[in-house]
Amino acid sequence: MKKMISGKSIVKSYGKGQEATNALNHVDIEISAGEFVAVMGPSGCGKSTLLFALSGADTINSGEIELDGQDLSKLNENELADIRRTKMGFVFQQPTMLKNLNILDNIILSSLQDNKRNAKNITKKAKILMKDTGISELEDRDIAEVSGGQLQRAGICRALINEPEILFADEPTGALNSKSSEEIMEIFSAVNKNGTAVMLVTHDAKVASRAERVLFMKDGKIESQLSLGKFDEHNMEDRINQVILKMRSFDI
Amino acid sequence: MYRKLIINDIKKSKLITITITVFILLASMLTSLAAILSASLFASIDGMMENAKTPHFLQMHAGEIDMRQLSNFAGEQANIENFQVTSFLNIEGAEIVIGEDSLAGSVQDNGLSVQSERFDFLLGLDGNIIRPTEGEIYVPIYYRKNGQASIGDSVAIHGVRLTVAGFLRDSQMNASMISSKRFLVNQADFEQVREFGKLEYLIEFRLTDPAAVAALEAAYLLAELPANGPPAITYSLFKMANAIDDGIMIAVLVLVSILVIIVSFLCIRFTLLAKIEEDYREIGVLKAIGLKTRSLKQLYLAKYSALAGIACTAGFVLSLFAKEPFLTNIRLYMGEAGGSGLGIAFGMLGALIIFFVVTLYVNGVLRRFKRISAAEAIRFGAPREKSKAAKGFRLSGSGMISPNIFLGLKDVLLRKKLYVTMLLVLAISSFLMIVPQNIYNTISQRNFMTYMGIGECDMRIDIQQTDNIAGKAEEIAGFMAEDSDIEEYTVLTSYMFDMRMTDGSAGKLKVELGDHSIFPIEYSYGRAPQSESEIAISGFVADDLEMGLNDTIALIACGQEKILTICGIYSDITNGGKTAKAVFDTGDGSGSVLWSIIPVRLQSGVTIDTKVAEYKNRFSYTKVADIDDYINQTFGGIADAVQKVSYAAIAAAAILTVLVTLLFMKMLLTKDRYSIAVLKSLGFKAADIYIQYLTRAFVVLILGIAIGTVLANTLGELVGVGLIASFGASAFHFAINPMFAYLFSPVFMAICVWSATRLSLAGISSLKISEYIKE
Ligand SMILES: Nc1ncnc2c1ncn2[C@@H]1O[C@H](COP(=O)(O)OP(=O)(O)O)[C@@H](O)[C@H]1O
Ligand SMILES: [Mg+2]
Repeated sequence: MKKMISGKSIVKSYGKGQEATNALNHVDIEISAGEFVAVMGPSGCGKSTLLFALSGADTINSGEIELDGQDLSKLNENELADIRRTKMGFVFQQPTMLKNLNILDNIILSSLQDNKRNAKNITKKAKILMKDTGISELEDRDIAEVSGGQLQRAGICRALINEPEILFADEPTGALNSKSSEEIMEIFSAVNKNGTAVMLVTHDAKVASRAERVLFMKDGKIESQLSLGKFDEHNMEDRINQVILKMRSFDI
Repeated sequence: MYRKLIINDIKKSKLITITITVFILLASMLTSLAAILSASLFASIDGMMENAKTPHFLQMHAGEIDMRQLSNFAGEQANIENFQVTSFLNIEGAEIVIGEDSLAGSVQDNGLSVQSERFDFLLGLDGNIIRPTEGEIYVPIYYRKNGQASIGDSVAIHGVRLTVAGFLRDSQMNASMISSKRFLVNQADFEQVREFGKLEYLIEFRLTDPAAVAALEAAYLLAELPANGPPAITYSLFKMANAIDDGIMIAVLVLVSILVIIVSFLCIRFTLLAKIEEDYREIGVLKAIGLKTRSLKQLYLAKYSALAGIACTAGFVLSLFAKEPFLTNIRLYMGEAGGSGLGIAFGMLGALIIFFVVTLYVNGVLRRFKRISAAEAIRFGAPREKSKAAKGFRLSGSGMISPNIFLGLKDVLLRKKLYVTMLLVLAISSFLMIVPQNIYNTISQRNFMTYMGIGECDMRIDIQQTDNIAGKAEEIAGFMAEDSDIEEYTVLTSYMFDMRMTDGSAGKLKVELGDHSIFPIEYSYGRAPQSESEIAISGFVADDLEMGLNDTIALIACGQEKILTICGIYSDITNGGKTAKAVFDTGDGSGSVLWSIIPVRLQSGVTIDTKVAEYKNRFSYTKVADIDDYINQTFGGIADAVQKVSYAAIAAAAILTVLVTLLFMKMLLTKDRYSIAVLKSLGFKAADIYIQYLTRAFVVLILGIAIGTVLANTLGELVGVGLIASFGASAFHFAINPMFAYLFSPVFMAICVWSATRLSLAGISSLKISEYIKE
């Protein structure tokens, strides 16, 4: 399998001198192209920090990160921005939408950066994505006029508009009820099925059970991992139980 | 506890605190400066005129005068306190040689005087009455400022050698606008030169009741006392002439400080509201736990009072230094007159007023605290904006616009209220840049003279105070008809006519007859006289007679009464400003001829200087003037003062623009941190975001410049007209310098906004996505 991301001995610390805390303490991680990885762990263990480090959205203190064969530390801000725009998608717990734009414009915004002549095609693509995620009737709405679940779907559409190779999601269902959560996860599974790698942070065993691999973090380290194999709806129960069991042994 | 909170708050928002302090400081400095300068100016003028005992009424006359007749008149008039006749020995400029150079180029009527006996004294720079000894000459301060004379220079007048012993202040003729200049010499030297000059008399009166000068003027004319010189001048005119140069500078200063005060208020309001918004949640919580808004309000009020206190004090202190360069001119021309203590008191008062006004204003803005609902503040954390993503203006349908520019535009459209402050400040800046420049441009335009009652010409010949004026004018005109260098000329002759007033009493009116269409002037109302039954009068005459357009005037000309209809009213600063223009024929020239003037337009390519010299040589009994020199020497001082102020205004506008843009962009950045993080997570580069903010800034800038320019051409013109009207001209339009107003000023402002935006956005690239959206 082709390597999508590989991180070696990543250290990230906040603060200086005596007060410095290692949010990531020599973390090694690899994610293959098309793989679905979930990250679990108690609050404050460094999950988000890891996600931002791997995506190049934050700098690290030491270690090495390669993304699609490129050493992130060798790239400048602009090159990183290009990679974020063309190879990655982000979904966060709170949908980070721009208030000034309606739903459709929010979705197509980053894509227009590179192809402003192609607005028609991009809009078409966005509409297909919106249909797939079940929000096609919302394109003209203000972001204040839709529910959290709908907004999260729009966020996914936005993350997918540039056909990224990897999708980073930080607790995407954290603010949703279980029904919406389930629907959102359906979408993630479908996206992954189409070949996009997914790295997803979650507290929810049911959500994590959709991943091929679940990493368990504690105090800035990956303590253990669980391989579940490709997602399969029929043994959902079993996958969930495996995750819960592992969580128990970790006191999460 | 308050102190700690305030200091913390100031530390946290350094830029805002500094900007607001700077604005209040500027406002208080300018106000204090204007107050100090006006107090000093008027104190100095009053002091000088008191020391010099300036006459309340002055009439010039050349030729015989009957002293007995004058004494009788003075005796009869109850209002006359003192009376004297002094002499002014008019000497051709070319005959006065100071050092190496003569005064041939001077447009002034230069002449010698001896010190007066009773009043109208010529003062030294120490304010004392000068008593020159033999061989000494005292030179008008005007020539020191021009650099044409300095102490110790030798002066030769028709071979009589004198030494410049000092300079003098002449409470009558100090101002460059007054076209005569008196040199002071000893009686003996005066007698030596006497035969070379042309003697004129200054018939001067001091009154017990200076307010009743108009009655005296009328009585004087009626008594047919000697009056062939320029019309009578009064105390208040002297005072005005002395005040004009510096007065205009002060007026512009006041204008600038008013604008700065407005900007300070806008900025205070803007930052306070932003601050309240930032602290909205905390304010709500504090309210919820039962803290009274009064103590909160006091907290903010304390902060701003402290700032205002420091800024106003500093502004006042700075104004004490800044006043020096402005005061040099006043001191030189008018002397100190103990006005400095008074000036400083006024300055302090000005700064104090600014302090109180700022505090009151902050108090007013803070009334919003009352309106914050605790529940809403805690639930929503921010005042709820009603903004709707403007429908219809969509990225998906925007075609070719880059998303960055689109986002910038849309933000301005959606958050209009937020941008109003910056818009207003930019409008004010552009107003500030354009208006003084326009005023300067207007008064330095050549055709500006036509607003002052002078037709636009190249050269002007004055024939006055001599006999057979009409004959001489005819001689010159005859010569001109043959001169191929001359494109156009006309003879305009002024007569004194009797006038029958509406109440039946008699009056006098100076009327200029001739063809007024060749060298036209601007009329405030109506137009030039065209038929025999029409007359145009100057504004001063209209005021005196209380008449307007279409009223009639009854003149006694050629022995019979002529009823003339007023067809136009114009501003006139020449000849005391009380004149009229008509076209009727006097036949054999009945009525008394006062003087003639011959304005001349030369063929293009003819050097004015040579022509002036030629006519001076040929017709030595006349006064030949190069109009450009005349304008330069008369209005040059004012134009210079206004130009200085206009440079200061440009600097002020630039500072305003940069500071406010900086402040505003920084605040936007703080408000928008989250959106910027989102954009970055979507792969937008720092340069993209920079373009978005630059777009916002430039949309506001363009609008601001448009509003500022429109205001400058309307409101600004009114202000400018008011200012310029204060020295006699009215009803004119701004002469706009398009290169400046429509090119330089917008480009300059754009550079200011661009660099300030650039500077304030430097932080974008280091803004971390993770800090603002990490879960
Ligand atoms: N900007 C920051 N400054 C200081 N410490 C931080 C910062 N961001 C995160 N941390 C610390 O780093 C650790 C990991 O944080 P984070 O990655 O957000 O945890 P998680 O997402 O797993 O809940 C925590 O102890 C947190 O307090
Ligand atoms: Mg987290």
